[in-house]
Amino acid sequence: MVGTRSDGAGGELLESIYSVLVLALVLVACVELGDAATAVDVYRLIQYDIAGVPFGSRLAGLNHHAGSSLSTTNADLSRTAVILPVRELNLTLLNEFITRKQPLGGLLLLLPQRTGSRESSEKIHGDSLTRSILVELEKLLIHSYIPYPVYFAFENGKLNSILADVRRSDATGQPASATSGGYKLVVSSWEPKKVSAPTITNIQGWLPGLKEDDDTNQLPTIAIVAFYDTFGAAPALSVGSDSNGSGVVALLEIARLFSRLYSNPKTRGKYNLLFGLTSGGPYNYNGTLKWLRSFDQRLRESIDYAICLNSIGSWNNELWVHVSKPPENAYIKQVFDGLSDIAQDMGVKIGIKHKKINISNPRVAWEHEQFSRVRVTALTLSELSVPPELLESTGGLHDSRNIVDETAVYRSVKLVAESLARHIYGKQGRNIQIFAESSSLAINPSYIALWLDLLSRTPRVAPFLEKTNSFISALKKELSDHTVEVYGTHESIDGIFTFYDSTTATLNIYQVASVTFDLLLLLVLGAYIILLFCFLVITTRGVDDLINMFRRPTSRKSKAA
Amino acid sequence: MTMFHFVNCVILTFGPHAVYYSATPLSEYDTIGTSVKALVVYLVTTLVKLICLATFLKVSETDTFDPYQELMRTLIGFIDIAGIYFALTQLTHRNISQAHKFQAVGLGWAFADSVLYRLAPLWIGARGLEFTWEYIFQGLEANANLVLNLSLAALVSLMWLRKNKPKTVIPIIYACAVILASMPSTVSYLRKALGWQPLKVVGFELTSSLVMAFISWQLYYACQRQV
Repeated sequence: MVGTRSDGAGGELLESIYSVLVLALVLVACVELGDAATAVDVYRLIQYDIAGVPFGSRLAGLNHHAGSSLSTTNADLSRTAVILPVRELNLTLLNEFITRKQPLGGLLLLLPQRTGSRESSEKIHGDSLTRSILVELEKLLIHSYIPYPVYFAFENGKLNSILADVRRSDATGQPASATSGGYKLVVSSWEPKKVSAPTITNIQGWLPGLKEDDDTNQLPTIAIVAFYDTFGAAPALSVGSDSNGSGVVALLEIARLFSRLYSNPKTRGKYNLLFGLTSGGPYNYNGTLKWLRSFDQRLRESIDYAICLNSIGSWNNELWVHVSKPPENAYIKQVFDGLSDIAQDMGVKIGIKHKKINISNPRVAWEHEQFSRVRVTALTLSELSVPPELLESTGGLHDSRNIVDETAVYRSVKLVAESLARHIYGKQGRNIQIFAESSSLAINPSYIALWLDLLSRTPRVAPFLEKTNSFISALKKELSDHTVEVYGTHESIDGIFTFYDSTTATLNIYQVASVTFDLLLLLVLGAYIILLFCFLVITTRGVDDLINMFRRPTSRKSKAA
Repeated sequence: MTMFHFVNCVILTFGPHAVYYSATPLSEYDTIGTSVKALVVYLVTTLVKLICLATFLKVSETDTFDPYQELMRTLIGFIDIAGIYFALTQLTHRNISQAHKFQAVGLGWAFADSVLYRLAPLWIGARGLEFTWEYIFQGLEANANLVLNLSLAALVSLMWLRKNKPKTVIPIIYACAVILASMPSTVSYLRKALGWQPLKVVGFELTSSLVMAFISWQLYYACQRQV
């Protein structure tokens, strides 16, 4: 009795040990292996719908062998991830490839390293060439439906050497595949999900003017507006230094200058200044529209005029004033004359362009058109001479820090601030400098440079900026340092736009051996083991033993027979 | 296809042990018990070695070659000889001949070494997508190690178990045993201080093990003849 009981206990113990062992083995087998030769940060092409029509890259997961060219005939492109450096990109070929909807496993576009500083003229020439390619590429990718994953990565030594390897093996007519080995590009990513209820945040701040006690009328308001969000082929790379980082920086600097003037009651003007950092700029200035709608009628009527700042960071000698009312209009003429007076003093040219609003057209090309639609006099100051198309010039791939010239922003600030000051203090036509260089009211170039640097590091595609994003808080904080009544309003983006997440990922590049190699290795190893066996048998037991080993079964059979 | 590679590497790493056991008379005399005992002794010896290493050596973060540290390491490596000696003499073996005993002990010793130091890296590394030659080299190293351990076991058995050996051979036996026991340090010296490529290191290991095996065999043969 006792014996059986202890036997049972021992059996249970054994069983539990076995189960623990099995569990351990299963756990070991499930350990995810993350040992790649190279892991690169990659940025996915944007995926979005406009009114249900899909655009951009529709997939995120990638697991294919690497190739180096779209035109290889002997490779199965639908199972190849092609690596193309943007520097040497053949755009017409790519364009044809995409428009013909040819199958492809995936696309990895290598962007040239971003350099923070300005380089020699030769380099700049190369940059401008790459820049024009980038502009075209971005246009193509944004407006196409691409059923495979498209990623961007920055060139680096490792990627370049891998690309060289891939090219070499492609050149020998042995494109990478399961049978020939090579490099494998792997992005493990789940299916992109819709960004639920994307919001845009408009930020505004006031500098209230000096109201005389007996004056019951509301003071007139001048609004300075710039949109701060961006849109580009790679949402995680759309920093938009020029469009519209430059406008944001100029707005902040103007706010800073006037906050100094308005802090002293003696120099406080008889105008309220309203500063608006709007979002949703790329989407027909959707945020501006909603911001304006949130104003009450009295406030809207009190706005004397609004100046919208858009892309003012890379002009040389000519800026444009875009208006929707004819230039002969008295208000427009007054503002434009004020601006062109200063421009003349500064030795820069300023032109005016009139574009009528077509109410039935949903496209809003300039931010001031939203103001004009609610009958507020407004103009846009920009270096762009023609109105951009939808999702164009919104701070995409090419729009990085090195194309923005701080002095251009400086001059823009000077232009706007001086003309505003002359208007506010009624000094039109008089040659005085309020923000003279060595005065205490001088424009601060390092402030401009610092903010440009920050903006050039911060991707700002609105649907991927949460309400509580640190950049938005930083903007709010900065504006509240200079102005009062700063607050942000959260609105939802125009419903026709849908966005999908997973904008960044990690690309693992593995060097894989081919099946053929594994088979060969197995054959060699088998031969080695057999030879070793024969050798050992012969040396320790003699040749006869070896022969006997293979004969024995037959001899037994014969015996049995 | 990575499982395939893993299987290949396992065959290369552990195949020779199995082949050695089954092809030589070891299997006929059923010496598996001796090998298992040697394996256990190996585990204990390794534990002792690890304790010694932890006591006497500093943990070096860098992969550089430090002569003093390596000397200590070599000295600690001689514990191996003691372990093999223990396995050969102190354990009660079934009635098998001297020749088979040292082979069984050497085999168990090498197998334990391979399992302890090579199985886990193989399992983790060779199943990855990334292909490297590392695990194939490691398998070749395991082969060299098998030969080295067999030679070492042979020499140790000569040193202490065979009483009447020719006087002239004795210093050679001791010298060879020292060389064999310090082989891991030599390899690490080549790898770290001279910066040899893995291919070169593995080549060296293979050739040196074969040379040492040949010398040990000659020594063993010489002693055998004496009897």
